[in-house]
Amino acid sequence: MSTTVDTFTVAETAAPRGRRRLAGRVGRRLVGAIGVLFAAATVTFFLQALMPGDRARLIINQSNGSLTNPTEAERAAVAERYHLDDSLLSQYAHYIGGLVRGDLGVSYFQHEKVTSIIGAQIGSTIVLTLVALVLAWIIALTVTVLAAGRDNVWSKLASGFQIVSASIPQYWVGTIFLVVFSIQLGIFPVESGSGIDGLILPAITLALPVAGFLGQVSQDEFSRLLHQPFVTSSRTRGSSDLSVRVRHVLRHAALPGVTLSGWALGFLFSGAVIVETVFARPGIGSVLVTAATARDIPLVTGVVIVSAAVYVVANLLVDLAYTVIDPRLKDQ
Amino acid sequence: MLNLLLTRLRSSRPDHRQRWDGVGEVPDGSQAHRRRWLPRRLALAALPLLAAAAVAGCGSSADGGGVETTASKPSRGGTIQYGHLQEPPCLINTWVQTGYLSRQFLDGLVSVDGKGKFYPWLATSWKVSKDGKTYTFELKPNVKFTDGTPFDAKAVKANFDAWLDAKRWTYNMYVGYHVANVLDEVKVTGPLEVEIKLKEPHDLLSVLSQYAFGIISPKTLAGSQANGCEKPVGTGGFIVEKWNRGKDVVLKRNPDYNSAPGNAKHQGPAYVDGVVWKFLKDDTLRYGSLRTGESDVIYEVPGASWADAKKRYAILQHVTGGVPVRLALETQNGPFKDVRVRKAFGYASDRRKAVETVFRGAAPYNGNGALSAGSPEHVEALEHAYDHDPAKAAELLDEAGWTQKNQDGIRVKDGKPLTIRIVYSPGNNVTNDDVQVLQIIQDQAKQVGFDVQLKPVTQAGLWAGEHHGPGEWDAEPWYWVARTAEILHVIWAPASEFGGTPNGNNPGGYEDPKTWALIEEADRTVDVKKRTALYQQAQRRIVETDALVLGLRPLTVNLAVGPKLRDVWLSPAIGEPVFTDAYFAK
Repeated sequence: MSTTVDTFTVAETAAPRGRRRLAGRVGRRLVGAIGVLFAAATVTFFLQALMPGDRARLIINQSNGSLTNPTEAERAAVAERYHLDDSLLSQYAHYIGGLVRGDLGVSYFQHEKVTSIIGAQIGSTIVLTLVALVLAWIIALTVTVLAAGRDNVWSKLASGFQIVSASIPQYWVGTIFLVVFSIQLGIFPVESGSGIDGLILPAITLALPVAGFLGQVSQDEFSRLLHQPFVTSSRTRGSSDLSVRVRHVLRHAALPGVTLSGWALGFLFSGAVIVETVFARPGIGSVLVTAATARDIPLVTGVVIVSAAVYVVANLLVDLAYTVIDPRLKDQ
Repeated sequence: MLNLLLTRLRSSRPDHRQRWDGVGEVPDGSQAHRRRWLPRRLALAALPLLAAAAVAGCGSSADGGGVETTASKPSRGGTIQYGHLQEPPCLINTWVQTGYLSRQFLDGLVSVDGKGKFYPWLATSWKVSKDGKTYTFELKPNVKFTDGTPFDAKAVKANFDAWLDAKRWTYNMYVGYHVANVLDEVKVTGPLEVEIKLKEPHDLLSVLSQYAFGIISPKTLAGSQANGCEKPVGTGGFIVEKWNRGKDVVLKRNPDYNSAPGNAKHQGPAYVDGVVWKFLKDDTLRYGSLRTGESDVIYEVPGASWADAKKRYAILQHVTGGVPVRLALETQNGPFKDVRVRKAFGYASDRRKAVETVFRGAAPYNGNGALSAGSPEHVEALEHAYDHDPAKAAELLDEAGWTQKNQDGIRVKDGKPLTIRIVYSPGNNVTNDDVQVLQIIQDQAKQVGFDVQLKPVTQAGLWAGEHHGPGEWDAEPWYWVARTAEILHVIWAPASEFGGTPNGNNPGGYEDPKTWALIEEADRTVDVKKRTALYQQAQRRIVETDALVLGLRPLTVNLAVGPKLRDVWLSPAIGEPVFTDAYFAK
């Protein structure tokens, strides 16, 4: 706990120069973020709009569940409703214009505002993603602290676990978990729903590969740091092995892992697609799957933009977390 | 005497035909067997209802409904957890998957049983004019939509107007295809009387008994599409309370329900408090949810669990009518322009065995590609029209001039290989099981010298017509749900019926004036026997003479019902699950 206090003390003394720098960095980051979002919106829009096939016909056939040749009147009615016969550039301008006002448009097939569809689903995915990230860290750190730098059966098991969990397909793990823990043993509900007991299996499934990656990265760093002079000096001061590992080495060893957390959040967010399907959880992942297969342009673009925003925010937070863990970065 | 009555009762049960007979293997007196039939005490209680149904069946005019079973009632309460598969994008549209759901909150004008007998529903009786062109419906009094709007003749007219207006979101293509060509006028002739005038005689009752004709509240129709999709209102036994997208639709019991169809097991509100209609897309999860009791009943038992489910649960199966899943052959371009090559392709593979092996009973083989075995006019003999016969296939191909073979064993004519491209969309117009059947066909057809190429497209690609242009494909699987052979009209209407636009439902493009004349004549024939005979001649021409389609399997609705839930039934119209009669055994 004392580490946190130290950090804040350092942060206080470094202000206000540090704070200005921080503000500058955040500002630059924000400009970059807007650029990323704009690019994501543009690329997704054109990728989908330029796919072959008549969108009006697609919309008509989709809602009828049959492949037909709609009459001109039927086609015209749909095309008018969604401005499909306007030039592509004017459609794009219309779309970006809406985006600036925070209007993501109306879903072609759900006939509902994209913002309200996403709004209703994103909470569940964010909870799942964050819980999975925390779980991933807990698993990775526990394994690292206990096994790194040792040469015994446990350390070998630990690195084996990390390799396996990093490379295991989530769809498969999820299904195995479901069959064993929910259907056979009945410990967890089959349909995960919104309760806490239903969150555990999906979150573990999602966390495992990330835990593997984080663990591997931290463990290498951890083993290297165990031979550093400051470790030897704290040992000579009489600290126990566990205390040295947790209080001194861990903080340094966690840095590469923290860098990875930004990536991990993106990975978890996209991994939610699979986990949400296997465990029948509502969420933005399943919205994206449905929307993408139906080429529901406003909805797909909306989900992509929101995901990009999550990714950008996550990376920004990671940047800030850096300075908390390693105060030296503040003045650089 | 009692036995006789019970036997009659059993055969009159509306869902009798839909019951899967696999439970017959179970020794008499076992639990599965007992679950299959009504307990005696209940059967006796249902007798008055039977009487009502019998009355309703005598002639086209009847006053059904209003019969309450007063003796020992099924228990009240509980919420049915139902695990479905597909989630529709909107709660009002013409997709059959939406129809299963909208049956829960919408009522139709008339209802039908498994034998084709019509029962009153929102219409208490009807008269048909001598020329078969005018139908006059008397409507059930004192019925209200669950938003408080009274149900009356004006509401019925408002529905037809909304369904047929291409400019409105309520436009209903199913209605369009089935009756737009014969519909002349829908007239309000009294507060509770509607007259439907046709240009030609037509089997209107059968059409009206199907899901796409559920009567929607005029308020919903006049409102926005967003509202209509999310919270549509009808007069039905359940009310849409909340749609948790990606998860479920919560349906709540309509406490004032007084418009159950004449062939329901009871009149009045549902026994249960509601239904949670869950979308469980993963097969393992859906079946697992039934196994652990989180669901009381599930749809579409996965093939791998079919044998297990038959042992553990009561299985309801409906073989849906209309066009079965079958390959439509492209007759305007490519090798299939030649009828001999089309027939050779039929003989080249053992589709019956392929379907039986892959589906393991979850769906039967349907060799008659023109019509499903679930439709009453289905010609049984056509099931064997193209039984596996490689020698005959080779003979036909030789005759057609495909005599050379290249180094891969593929037949060649004028330097071109005999390539057949099958375009399909897994999870959309075919299931993964169907894809396995296509792979077997591919393998077997190769032995005769066909180079079959499987071309999967995405859902969006499918609806946008990817690989669907002239000369881009040779065969594609498709099905079309309907109750009867009225579907032949939808599929085989020539382009001239649509002002020259090719009929999208006939992708193969073949137009035979003789077949079309038979179908048109059948459509306007009132006499059931004569009509059936005409439809059957048309099927023979489509399958035998012209070989335009190759049948695979019918669409089926399979429900596995958990041990506590009783009296769920599948509507004989299209196989929609009905939950208003269901109750939990104590």
